[in-house]
Amino acid sequence: MAQLTVAQPQHGRSGAERSWLQRVGDWVSRYGVPWVFLLPTMIFFIGWAVYPIVRVAWFSLLDYRPIQADRPVTFIGLQNYVEAFADPLLQVGIIRAATFTALFLPGMIFIPMFLAVLIDRITNARVATFYRLVLLIPAMIPGPLIFLLWKWMYDGYIGPINYALVDVLGIFTIQNQPQWLSNQLVIPGLTIMEWWWGLGYHTMFFLAGLASVPRDLFDASKVDGANEWQMFWTVTFWRLLPVTLVLVVLRFGTAMAVIDEYLIMGGFMRDRPTYTWTVYMWDTAFQGVQDRGYGAAIGWVGTIVMLVVVAVMFWAFRSRD
Amino acid sequence: MATQAALPAYGAQASASRGSKRPKIKWGAIARHVILAIFALIIILPLVWVLLLSVKSLPDAYQNEIWPKTFDWTHYGYSLQKIPTLPQNYWNSILVTLGTVVVTTVCAVLAGYAMVFLQVPGIRIVFALLVASMFFPTRVTAVIAIFETQKDLGLLNVPAGLIFPYVTLSLALSVFVMRGMFQTVSKEIYDAARIDGAGPVRMLLTILLPLVKNGIVVVIIVNFVTAWGEYLLAKTLNTNQSAQTLPVVLAAATGGMGAWVWPRLAAVYIMAILPGLIAFGFAQRWYIKGLQEGALKA
Repeated sequence: MAQLTVAQPQHGRSGAERSWLQRVGDWVSRYGVPWVFLLPTMIFFIGWAVYPIVRVAWFSLLDYRPIQADRPVTFIGLQNYVEAFADPLLQVGIIRAATFTALFLPGMIFIPMFLAVLIDRITNARVATFYRLVLLIPAMIPGPLIFLLWKWMYDGYIGPINYALVDVLGIFTIQNQPQWLSNQLVIPGLTIMEWWWGLGYHTMFFLAGLASVPRDLFDASKVDGANEWQMFWTVTFWRLLPVTLVLVVLRFGTAMAVIDEYLIMGGFMRDRPTYTWTVYMWDTAFQGVQDRGYGAAIGWVGTIVMLVVVAVMFWAFRSRD
Repeated sequence: MATQAALPAYGAQASASRGSKRPKIKWGAIARHVILAIFALIIILPLVWVLLLSVKSLPDAYQNEIWPKTFDWTHYGYSLQKIPTLPQNYWNSILVTLGTVVVTTVCAVLAGYAMVFLQVPGIRIVFALLVASMFFPTRVTAVIAIFETQKDLGLLNVPAGLIFPYVTLSLALSVFVMRGMFQTVSKEIYDAARIDGAGPVRMLLTILLPLVKNGIVVVIIVNFVTAWGEYLLAKTLNTNQSAQTLPVVLAAATGGMGAWVWPRLAAVYIMAILPGLIAFGFAQRWYIKGLQEGALKA
């Protein structure tokens, strides 16, 4: 109230009667106070997100190997990038990340969409809530702990998956049982794990999308004699398309830049399908000669490739609105 | 939800002789529940397995008995006593997570409030930057610079030092959740409180906070999960085992070796995931409400 009534007349007779000090005071109370509320967010956002991003870009222009004390830090322009673009390991690393992403995305979209349609039809509120809660359990477990659990599940010695396949079902023997973390199977194995992890979380997105679909639409198409399958493709899918596109862009970005999974389940063997550009970056910057400059360049090349695709997706998806 | 009480209604429908349509609907409902139950099992079984593993006697564990013949409850106490850094690692995780959750929540509430109710000059630029940051893999791309910054600040191998980079991990998302929540508060409530003479601080604390509590629960849970399990930064920044957090120590442990025999590893694992699951059990009502109200719209 005080601000409202006092501020207005002051505005009217600004200038002559008020000193510049008063005006600065007004300006601060008008614009400064709101900024006080934003200050904590900005300190962290600038200090530990914006600044490191800028700084890592700077590193990528340097010859920077802090472990070699006698080697001077020198500015070498785009030399690291020239090297990176010609580096076959980086190309392979980006292709490996893209392979995982291509395998991961369809299941991460369509399985939760399917489950959301099923849960949405359940008329008993308690049963529906029960399914939601159970599916959300993995979302309450931090990613790296999920990766550990699945690393053990895939284990050939103690893991229950091969126990079921060998001892219970007898499909495989101990000699030819699938080695889930081998070079051949590790990417499909990781993909299944990621689907398990994201199942409930993504189902919630689609359920929120479905909740906004008017029920009349379903009733109308039912009257028209549409079966479930037709109803999904004529009504539901199109209603869910905005949510789907957002998820595709978000998950494409996260999948291309995955690193924890690869570190935990893959290691640093360069011929592993898990040795993607992210692992290559970390390996270069923090192990061996600790070439931080080249590591930074690897990180930027991978990130820019990813961002270009995200930008293209934004453009492609937006034009339809 | 169109028809009410569909499940008990099947019996009634049968007697009401809507013969031709009835079996079809019933099979659809059964198939629906079977599929959902299978998925629910797929989610639960791995967790049941690791829980059982943590209470198996060593012979049972190594003979791969799914249901233990003899239970052994000592793995929990043993691992806490015999793996020297473990209590410290546990404490590090608690400290880092608590700090991250508190700081991020305060930041997000203040920022969300200012974005909705106060006129902040230049807010569009801030907003655009925060949105852009959600599509940028900062934690991965900038890990080298975050390491150097923490080194400059003397925060390497300081457990609480992780709080600084951790706050930013979910900060943008948290701000958007709170912004979305504050937008659901009607302007009339805000104006009425203002006319009663409430300043920005009192307004926020006494009037608005209770209205956005579901969003705060979402922010707390999101940041808890992020901080409690973060691996890459924790591994990179803290290399001394006594300064590490639980996930890094667990990931470094080779199953089956020495103190880390499988059941003990599983026991530590259960102790690592339990706090989150218990908290979720208590907070799930507000969490799901909060997701529906603000978070998923952001």
